[in-house]
Formats: sequence, C-alpha cells, structure tokens
Amino acid sequence: MNSNTENKFLTMTASPHIKSPIKTRNIMADVVIALMPALVWAIYVFGFRALTITAISVVSCVAFEYLYRKLMKKSNTISDLSAVVTGILLAYSLPVSTPLWIPIIGSFFAIVIVKQLYGGIGKNIINPALAARVFLFVAYPTELTAFTEPGKYLSPFAVNVSKAASDITAGATPLVDLKNGIIPDADITSTLIGNIPGTIGEVSATILILTGIYLMIRKVITWHIPVTYIATVALITLVLPLGNAGGVSFMLLQLFSGGLMLGAFFMATDYVTSPATSVGRIIYGVGCGLITVFIRYFGGYPEGVSFAILIMNLFVWYLDKATKPKAFGGAKK
Amino acid sequence: MLKTFKGGLHVNDNKNTRNCPIENFPSPAKVAIPMQQHIGAPAQPLVAKGDYVKKGQLIGNFETGLSCPIHASISGTVADIEMRNSYTGYGKTAHIVIENDYTDTPDDNIKTFDGDIFTATSEEIVELVRRAGICGQGGAAFPTYAKIQSAIGKASEIIINCAECEPYITENHRLMLEEPEKIIGGARILMHATYTEHMTIAIENNKMDAVEVMTKNTAEYENISVQVLKTKYPQGDERQLMYVIKGVELPAGKLPADVGCVIFNAETCVSVYNAIYEGMPLISTVLTVDGDAVNTPKNLRAPVGTRISDILDYCGGSTDNLSKIVSGGPMMGQAQWDMNAVVMKNTSAFLFLSDKTQSNDEGDCIHCGRCVGVCPMHLMPNYLAAFSKKDDKVLAEEFGILSCVECGSCTYICPGNVPIVQYIRTTKGAILAEKRKAAQKAKESEAKS
Repeated sequence: MNSNTENKFLTMTASPHIKSPIKTRNIMADVVIALMPALVWAIYVFGFRALTITAISVVSCVAFEYLYRKLMKKSNTISDLSAVVTGILLAYSLPVSTPLWIPIIGSFFAIVIVKQLYGGIGKNIINPALAARVFLFVAYPTELTAFTEPGKYLSPFAVNVSKAASDITAGATPLVDLKNGIIPDADITSTLIGNIPGTIGEVSATILILTGIYLMIRKVITWHIPVTYIATVALITLVLPLGNAGGVSFMLLQLFSGGLMLGAFFMATDYVTSPATSVGRIIYGVGCGLITVFIRYFGGYPEGVSFAILIMNLFVWYLDKATKPKAFGGAKK
Repeated sequence: MLKTFKGGLHVNDNKNTRNCPIENFPSPAKVAIPMQQHIGAPAQPLVAKGDYVKKGQLIGNFETGLSCPIHASISGTVADIEMRNSYTGYGKTAHIVIENDYTDTPDDNIKTFDGDIFTATSEEIVELVRRAGICGQGGAAFPTYAKIQSAIGKASEIIINCAECEPYITENHRLMLEEPEKIIGGARILMHATYTEHMTIAIENNKMDAVEVMTKNTAEYENISVQVLKTKYPQGDERQLMYVIKGVELPAGKLPADVGCVIFNAETCVSVYNAIYEGMPLISTVLTVDGDAVNTPKNLRAPVGTRISDILDYCGGSTDNLSKIVSGGPMMGQAQWDMNAVVMKNTSAFLFLSDKTQSNDEGDCIHCGRCVGVCPMHLMPNYLAAFSKKDDKVLAEEFGILSCVECGSCTYICPGNVPIVQYIRTTKGAILAEKRKAAQKAKESEAKS
C-alpha cells in the first residue's frame, strides 16, 4: 500500500522494517560450496564421469523445476538454488557406472513428484534426493549396485558403460562384507580418505566431515543431527558388533565406508524434512542412527542410511509438536 | 560472561548517531498536538479555536480514568482543532493545531517543587507526575503515575531501562552521556515514590562510555547498581530485562509488579526530573533522526506536535530514494503514511529508509528453525505463521500464539522472507477479539439471568 505525499509514495508495511541479508539462496549456496570438495575427490577417484553424472543431475533438476513452475504458472523458484542442491545430492548417491539417463529420471522423480507436487520448496515431507535415490534403487537394482574400483576410470561420455568396463567393477562395498560379519580387506586409512568403492559422493568420509564442520561454522546446520546420528551408529556397532568381527575396526568401517557421513551431514540435516527444535533434532538423529544400524544388521540391504532418513522424515511434525519448547512465562508442561 | 536470555538477535546496530549531541530543535511555526499519545482514554481539548495558549499550558485532560494530561509545547494561537487519523493506531484523534508566536511565553502554573522532594509522600509525587502529563517514553506510553501506583507495596526493585536495543536509536545513550544527573535524579524520585529498595540501571554493552558515566554518577548511592547487558535484541523488553537482572520469568498475563519489579525508561526519568525541578510538564522529547535516506542524521530535542516534514528539513532533507518513514525503531516502529505525522511524547526516532532496505516479496518457509532459535518467548513462529495462514486458531493457541510479544525477530531472521510476525499479529488479534466477544456475551447472559 502506498500513500502520496509531496509527490512521493511512501511504503506502508508493518514492522519489522529491516531484514537479515541471509536468504534461502545464500544458505543453499553455502551447501553447494560445502559439497564441492567431495566432487573434486570423486573426480580424482572415479574420473570425470563423476562430474558428468553430477552435471546431468543438476541441470535436469533445475530444468524440471523451471518447466514445472512455468507450466503450472507458478513463480519461478530456481534462483533459490535448492534444485541445485537436490541435483548434487542425487548424483552423489549414485555409483559412477550409472547409465547417464538414470539421473534424469531420478531428477524428475525428486523435483516433480516429491517436491513440486507437494507445493515446492518447504512443502515436501520427504527428502527429494533420497526419495529419488530409493526409487532408482528399486527400479534399476543392477545399475545402482555396481560399484567401480577406485582408480579405474570409466568413459565420461558413454551413455551406458560397456560390458567390458563393468567387468572392472568391484561389485561390493565394504558394507557387504560387514553385513556378513566379516572385516573387509579395505584398511581403515583408505576408508577414511575415501579410496574405496562406493557412490560418487559418499566415499570421502574425511572431506565430508570437514565440509560438514564448515556448514556448522557457517551456522547453516547445527551439531544436533549429525553428532547424534553418528554417535548412535558408533555406539551400537561398538557395543553390539555383528558376528565375531568385533572391535573398534568394525565400528570405524561402519562409520566411514557407507553413506553415513554424506547422510548425516548433508541429507538428514535438510531443513524441510528435519525438526526445528534442538531436542527434536537430537531424537531425530538418534532415530536415524538406530534405523540405519537395524537395516544394516537385519534388513535385506547392506546399506540403511537412505531408508533410515526417509523413515525419520515422516516423524518431523510429531517430533516438533512433542518437543515444542515451554513458552517464556508459560505454565510448566 | 555477561548474563543474557535465551533467543534474540544479533542485529547490525547501526548506531550512527552515537556521537551526535542532542540539538534543541528550533521552535517550529506550527505544531499539531494529538489528544491521545498514551494508553488509556483520550484527553478532551480544554481550549477552542482562536484561544491564546502559553508554553506548558494544560490544553487537554480527562480526569476520571486512566489518561494523561496534554500541554501546549509552544506559545501561540490555537489555529484549529482537527480530527485526524492517529499515526499510531489510536483511530480518529483530535489534534490541537497551534501557530507559534515565537515568544516562548511560559504558563503561569509552571513552578518548581517547593522543598525537598524526598520528604514528599507517594501520593504527592503521583499527583505531580500525573499533572506533568508523563507517560512511558520507551514504547507503549503507559501513564507513569498509574505505573507508580501499581508498584507501591508490590515492587522492591526499580529497573531503569537504558538498554536501547533497537538499531539506529541513540537518544537514551546521548541522554546518559549528556544528562546523567537528570536520569538518576528522576529515577531516585521514582524510587522514593514506589518505596523500592534497590535500583538497577540496565545498559547494553555497546554503550560502555555511558556505563562509565552512569557508574561514576551513581557511586555515592549504595542501593543503585549499573548492570551491563549483552547487546542483543530485544534485551530492552521488560520480560527479558527482569529475567536477566532478577532471574525471574514474568508469568504470562502478569505485570512486572507481580514479581516485585517496576521498570521505567531512561527518558521518562528525565521528564520526571524536569517536572519536579523545573516545573515543566512533558512537552518535548528527544529523538534520533537516522536511516540511509536522510542527509544529516541527528539527535534532537523537539516539541511535541512537530511535523515530520519540519524535522526532515532541519536534517538536510531526504535523498531521492526515500521509500519509508518509520516512527520508532526499525524492529517495532510504525511506518508513517505521510509527512504530517508528528512528534509524540513517546517518539524515540524517525527513520528515513530507502528502497534498498525494502524487500517484501513473500517467499516460502524452508523450516530451517532459525525463528525458533531467536524467539525470546520460546515459541515456534514457523508453525504459528503456518497455522495463521490456514486460519487454524485452535492449533495457533495450542502453540502459544498469545504469548507472542511481536518483537519481529522471526520475520527479521527468516531466510524465506515469510512475514511471520505479521501473520501472527493478524491471528492473535482475531483470537483476542473472539475472546472479548465471548466474555461480553457471557456477561450479558449473566446480567439477564
């Protein structure tokens, strides 16, 4: 509303009249920055095909968001960069040998079905990248479980990796061995730095921890979810190891060889699908940890991070409601 | 470590005028004095068009209820009594327009208090404060005499609020540097009148020079201490002040006196001092003029009723990109719709803001929880806004919407540009209106039966 005074229109709005310069776009940009070192490492370990898949995933996520909003005559939201983050995270949860058209299908599922059909940013109830990853995992089980040996570079541009090339795949991550109660050959050091088979973005545990800390310093995320998530997994795998593997090395491999670090720092902390209270975040983190270990121990799959986070996504509203802080000056609960 | 409260904001404090001494605003050609500048009933005009009034003369009063007398801030002729829309949401209010005769002839009733004020009774001081038309000059403009009355027998601690947590505003800061003896003198009178045993002068730590001055000036009094507070918005809210100073959480719906405290703003103390020692009622106020669209930011002492346009001219005019004028601080102040708005007793600032500082495109909540972290009332503003959007009053009340103090921290911090506090205000207002209606109905049906 404006009013005319001395040839001048004054803005009439309710207080407050100033706002923080930090917007959704800045936050998403910080997440993108934090995800870049892991990409550099992925290119080093798996070759430029890692970059190709990431680029395809990002471009198609942004494109689907743009097209959907345009088609539905809604405001254009691609500038908030959330679709870029989804694209990167989706690519990071795929093996490098994935056929190049798979990330496009995943992007469609993530952006259109999980995010936009619910109303766009902030309205989805589960994490788009994770949901898409699980969808692809169910739809293309062979492609999504073929893991390449580090250092064996695949063609960056071949749509489908040739049969000959897939022969060089390792077939299993250390998690498969761990599931059978066996300590795999991979030593702790190469697991920590990420010189192991795995998805594009999950292998570099050290880099993911450091960039996760960067996000905490930048106040993009709080410590509650990653710390409680990782601590829960650490505690259970240390106290109750599977089979007779036992010991600290079993725990360390559990922590560093799967998607735990990527999930704990970058996926479980997704604002939209995690609680807004500190206590809620702690319970959520512990829940993610418990479900992850249960799936890894007793489930049908060697990896449980994606499912654990998706399941906990569904509890966000209840956790927020149950951990609602006592109002200042309000009656005790 | 400085004591503080949970939640709150670290805002760029923009205290650009901290080194601008208070200038006396030259007597304006015309003033328009609103009959309602306080909480309570409006004053009734006591003068008519054409009357000659002297500076400090009583021109509006309402004796029989909670109200505040109004005095002429200049001498001259009553040019008109206009009904205008109040600039602060009181609805249609009579404004007495006075044309200046530039003689500054003081009213005959202006005389200083005879004798030692510290031998006067509470009742005498209450009456002096009421007659001087003093109301809280920090924000809500609650009549000061009524606040004294409410504290007698209940409060043991008097808190002088010099936190000044709103960005830009430096008027209390300047008063502490320039007139500490008036703040302390006035505060001691209020302390005497309220029978309080101890006084705390609360100052944020972005004004350490003022802390030094106030500490030095209160050194001789054993029962007065200066409390340094962490600079954080809204530290100046009385709930947060009492929590930090006394460690008490003011229960919802209670007054500070119920937990043994009474709180006065620094400038209110100066007005009490002026009323007692100079006999002058509250007819001028100190305000900060700042913002990125004013040419020369200043601190001014201006007569009540001075128009914004006069103030702006004195401060070198505005830049071309002026977009918004705010009366008060940027967090809780009110936007003004034209240049005819006037200085009132509780005006603390006029801010002239450019388009740069404006961004009102509503975005989406990303559920980041930042508003939950900054809410000084420990609410979940994100949900309150969502419930308000859906007009779900039941859930909104369950989530404590009525505890909201509307400080605006949530809207400030929201990266999604959701006007959170604006949504909350609307729904809170609707719920309160429903409650009033229900109470009214219950009363009526009781009367019938």
